[in-house]
Amino acid sequence: MKAAFLKLRTLPLGRILPVLVLLALLAILVSGCDTDTPQNTFDTKGEVAEKQAELFYWSMWPALAIMIFVLSALVIMLLRFRERDPNHVPPQIHGNTRLELAWTIAPAVLLLGLGIPVVASIYDLGREPSEDAFVINVTGQRFSWDFEYPEFTDANGDPLVVSSLAGPAHIPVDREVAFYLRSVDVIHSFWIPKLGGKLDVVPNDDNVLWLIADEPGSFSGQCAEFCGLYHADMRLTVVAEPEDEFEAWADEQMAE
Amino acid sequence: MSSIAVPRRSPLAQALKGARHAAENRNSILGWLGTVDHKRIGILYGISSFIFFLAGGIEALLLRTQLARPDGNVLDPDQFNRLFTMHGTTMVFLVVMPMSSAFFNLLVPLMIGARDVAFPRLNAFSYWTFLAGAIFLNASFFTGDIFSGVLGAPDGGWFGYAPLNLRQYTPGHGMDFWMLGIQMLGIASLAGGFNFIVTILNMRAPGMTLFRMPVFVWMTLVTSFLIIFAMPVIAVALFELSFDRLFGANFFNAAAGGNPLLWQHMFWLFGHPEVYILILPAFGIISEILPTFARKPLFGYPFVVFSGIAIGFMSWGVWVHHMYTTGLGTIANSAFGISTILIAVPTGVKVFNWMGTLWGGSIRVRAPLMFAVGTVAMFTIGGLSGVTHSMVTSDYQQQDTYYVVAHFHYVLFGGAIFGLFGGIYYWFPKFTGRYLNETMGHVHFWLMFIGFNLTFFPMHISGLLGMPRRIYTYSGDMGWDMWNLISTIGAFTIAASVALFIVNFMISVRRGKEAGADPWDGRTLEWTIPSPPPEYNFAEIPTVHSLDDFWHQKYREDETGRVVPVLAGGAVETETEHHEEGGHGIHMPSPSFMPLIASLGFPFVATGLMYDYALVPVGFALILIGFYGWAMEPATEEE
Amino acid sequence: MAHAGTAHLETSTGIDNKKLLMWLFLASDCLFFGSFIAAYLLYRDRSLVGPYPEDLFDIPFTSVSAFVLLMSSVSMVLALAAIQRGNVRHMQIWLFTTAILGALFIAGQVYEFTEFHHEGLSLSTNLFGTTFFVLTGFHGAHVTIGILILLSLFVVSLRGGIQQKDSQTIELAGLYWHFVDIVWIVIFTLIYLIQP
Repeated sequence: MKAAFLKLRTLPLGRILPVLVLLALLAILVSGCDTDTPQNTFDTKGEVAEKQAELFYWSMWPALAIMIFVLSALVIMLLRFRERDPNHVPPQIHGNTRLELAWTIAPAVLLLGLGIPVVASIYDLGREPSEDAFVINVTGQRFSWDFEYPEFTDANGDPLVVSSLAGPAHIPVDREVAFYLRSVDVIHSFWIPKLGGKLDVVPNDDNVLWLIADEPGSFSGQCAEFCGLYHADMRLTVVAEPEDEFEAWADEQMAE
Repeated sequence: MSSIAVPRRSPLAQALKGARHAAENRNSILGWLGTVDHKRIGILYGISSFIFFLAGGIEALLLRTQLARPDGNVLDPDQFNRLFTMHGTTMVFLVVMPMSSAFFNLLVPLMIGARDVAFPRLNAFSYWTFLAGAIFLNASFFTGDIFSGVLGAPDGGWFGYAPLNLRQYTPGHGMDFWMLGIQMLGIASLAGGFNFIVTILNMRAPGMTLFRMPVFVWMTLVTSFLIIFAMPVIAVALFELSFDRLFGANFFNAAAGGNPLLWQHMFWLFGHPEVYILILPAFGIISEILPTFARKPLFGYPFVVFSGIAIGFMSWGVWVHHMYTTGLGTIANSAFGISTILIAVPTGVKVFNWMGTLWGGSIRVRAPLMFAVGTVAMFTIGGLSGVTHSMVTSDYQQQDTYYVVAHFHYVLFGGAIFGLFGGIYYWFPKFTGRYLNETMGHVHFWLMFIGFNLTFFPMHISGLLGMPRRIYTYSGDMGWDMWNLISTIGAFTIAASVALFIVNFMISVRRGKEAGADPWDGRTLEWTIPSPPPEYNFAEIPTVHSLDDFWHQKYREDETGRVVPVLAGGAVETETEHHEEGGHGIHMPSPSFMPLIASLGFPFVATGLMYDYALVPVGFALILIGFYGWAMEPATEEE
Repeated sequence: MAHAGTAHLETSTGIDNKKLLMWLFLASDCLFFGSFIAAYLLYRDRSLVGPYPEDLFDIPFTSVSAFVLLMSSVSMVLALAAIQRGNVRHMQIWLFTTAILGALFIAGQVYEFTEFHHEGLSLSTNLFGTTFFVLTGFHGAHVTIGILILLSLFVVSLRGGIQQKDSQTIELAGLYWHFVDIVWIVIFTLIYLIQP
């Protein structure tokens, strides 16, 4: 019995590993945040995405702090209170009511504090689209998106429709765009990460999502609710451009 | 109703009686098929769920291989979708739930000082119905043309969202197998839930008041209550789906005005309590392991118990956090955002109390402890990422991404599976009389710990980089390839650790170091009886005087407050002596095949509903025969 | 349902194991019916095509069948009271009466379903058809199981298998029967009587 314990103690790996793993994880996390990839939720290009990323940081930093605290406390306790004498029985402590109250109330207060920006943000981003928002009707279908522009009509009065299969859908930059989401089959989820979080496209239950692109560019998105065989291929690209270029694009599309 | 005499004995009844006598030989196949002994049912649960763990793991490895590189072509999209559906369904319903049941069965009667559960035959019925449902569900694989790579398994996700779950979008029988299979598993869980509540409330040894019960028993009780209230809800959702798919009803048919969100509400009203059904048993297990190996009582026992109960209640009020992006509106999202934030409080209380248990202890770093501490650490990470999910509007970005996949694997693998493995290492000596090899246990832990973090930590990143769940492939320009490659390497590391565990198990069960009745210097009643326990558990039903009663038989505090062994405290020896003469007079319930017969009816009904209605009455007849036979046969066959 | 040796032991709570089991089952079953009723209420007035409830419901007829079911609860009480007094003969009469009243209710339901079907309502016609048939159908299935239990107990008692000491078996059957009866009162009120 004693020999086995001695053998284990000679394994310094056991002490260092958790710390190494933790450090590696943190390094990964930090390096992950500032890579410029097409759907990076931290590389925000619009007001909505930016506010959402900010709110995420509000919870991420305290969470990381608590994580480091708990994990290092566990490692320290395993080192400090490791059995040294197999016959030693430590004092039998059954608890401490003050401590219990402290670690019930303190987290509750902290967490409810977090709740304030959350609710504020829900109402902020959850408002109806404004009157002068540019309207696009989005239809989700297995496995593509149709973008209908009611403001652009041809000679017959039919609106311009662009399919995600044919090419990117364009939007005006610096202007609120209201996407009216409709599904003709199953539930999809409309998502352009750099502009903002997703909203589900539910049959019989239409939703509207407003987004603003702060700078011109091409933004990648894709269906985020499993919708069947080619769910992974239900992608889309949105190009944000100044009003004049945007209208030129629309004219060109109508001409085709 | 032992008084009900069945005067005429048909040949069938005679044959059954003969089989029952044959089953008295515990090592025969009939002995296992007819067993009503909670310990053997527990072993059956454990072995079956471990086999399904391997199946679900192989599914995961296939998925990870496909995703290792961009534009992978190991699997086609159809195979991928069916495999991830089965992976999720298997791990939830066929692994964590039944493996927890294995522990309930093995331990609850021993921990409360009972000779068996309240309804031994209902217990057997639970197990056989679970097994029937599990095999039925996996049989779906073979209904396609499996040798040319066409799988028949369900393809609608483990969550089976409407209207994708309707026949028009998921044709074939895959989703039929899914809905009918889970229905069977639900019946099994319900039967188990009822049984354990009655057992815990009613079968406690004298002096075993509720607040002297081990925390594991408390967590079993809370879990069982969650089961009996959550399972009916999913049963109704599945019945509605069954009527839609099989008989053209309109519950989720948008064309007839149905609302697909009805499914989500019901699924998650079940699904969130289900999350705690999966994790609370593991919490119970580590609440037993930590005190034993720290050689201190559980810190803040009443707080750990009450926070478990609080979690049970609160789990009913958070289901909409699975639905933040469905457009339910600001009020619903705010209310459920706050409730979700608050459920972190009782969970945090548990973590702090576990840390308080370790503090000031004399910690023996053995395999069970390593898994228990691993559970606390990994669950903490999962819980904290859960808090980041409760930030509703930022969750609009994370919903249905790999960030969520990372989160719940930290909770359900890092939490539940690590905890369950800890339980296996801890109680293996009790039920086999031998230790699992300690060195292999350490290597297993570190391999699994590293593999686990390699697999799932990068998923936080790939999720935040915008990678949605359930996609069968991705292109190389998304910046996800490195993280996915790391995840895949990690997954195979986990597989290696599980392989090592199997080797350890196989060797140790035959040649492991022999363990006595009380190998870990335990605190609870199961360590007072021999390893493995006799069929009747306790030669004499113990009388309990305090929490951690067995500890107090072995140790006392001297005048200076130091803890010293009670010299005469050879509780184990005296107990063993009792067994030499005891035992014989104790009548245990006879084996019974009726639960097995009744359980067999369910797959007949389900198969009949899909392929040929003629099988439906056959199935119902089996169920009826099983139940009538069950009601009529005496529980204990007269000698 | 056989009394195992253990059942005669005193339980920790003082409540018999089987009685506790029955109460737990009924509590669980509340959520089962609750979910179906919720689905019905959610889809009320959402049907896109007829026939609608107001076209079909025959309140006087259903009131009579509801009354029949209600009366069966009375006879169930009398059966239990009889066996508790040790009067096996009376218990048999009342058990049988309860089963017959239950069967009458089921006959009424079968008649109602057939009528509705004739008037063009099927499971797949509209949301009303779907939610109505499935909800009341599951209730009917519960009643049918209850009748099977009652008749089984009746047969067992004819063979002398139920005496005064077995009164708990009748009590448990009664608990189930009253529960199913109460569920019907809820369904009848919410679905037939309160029409928006």
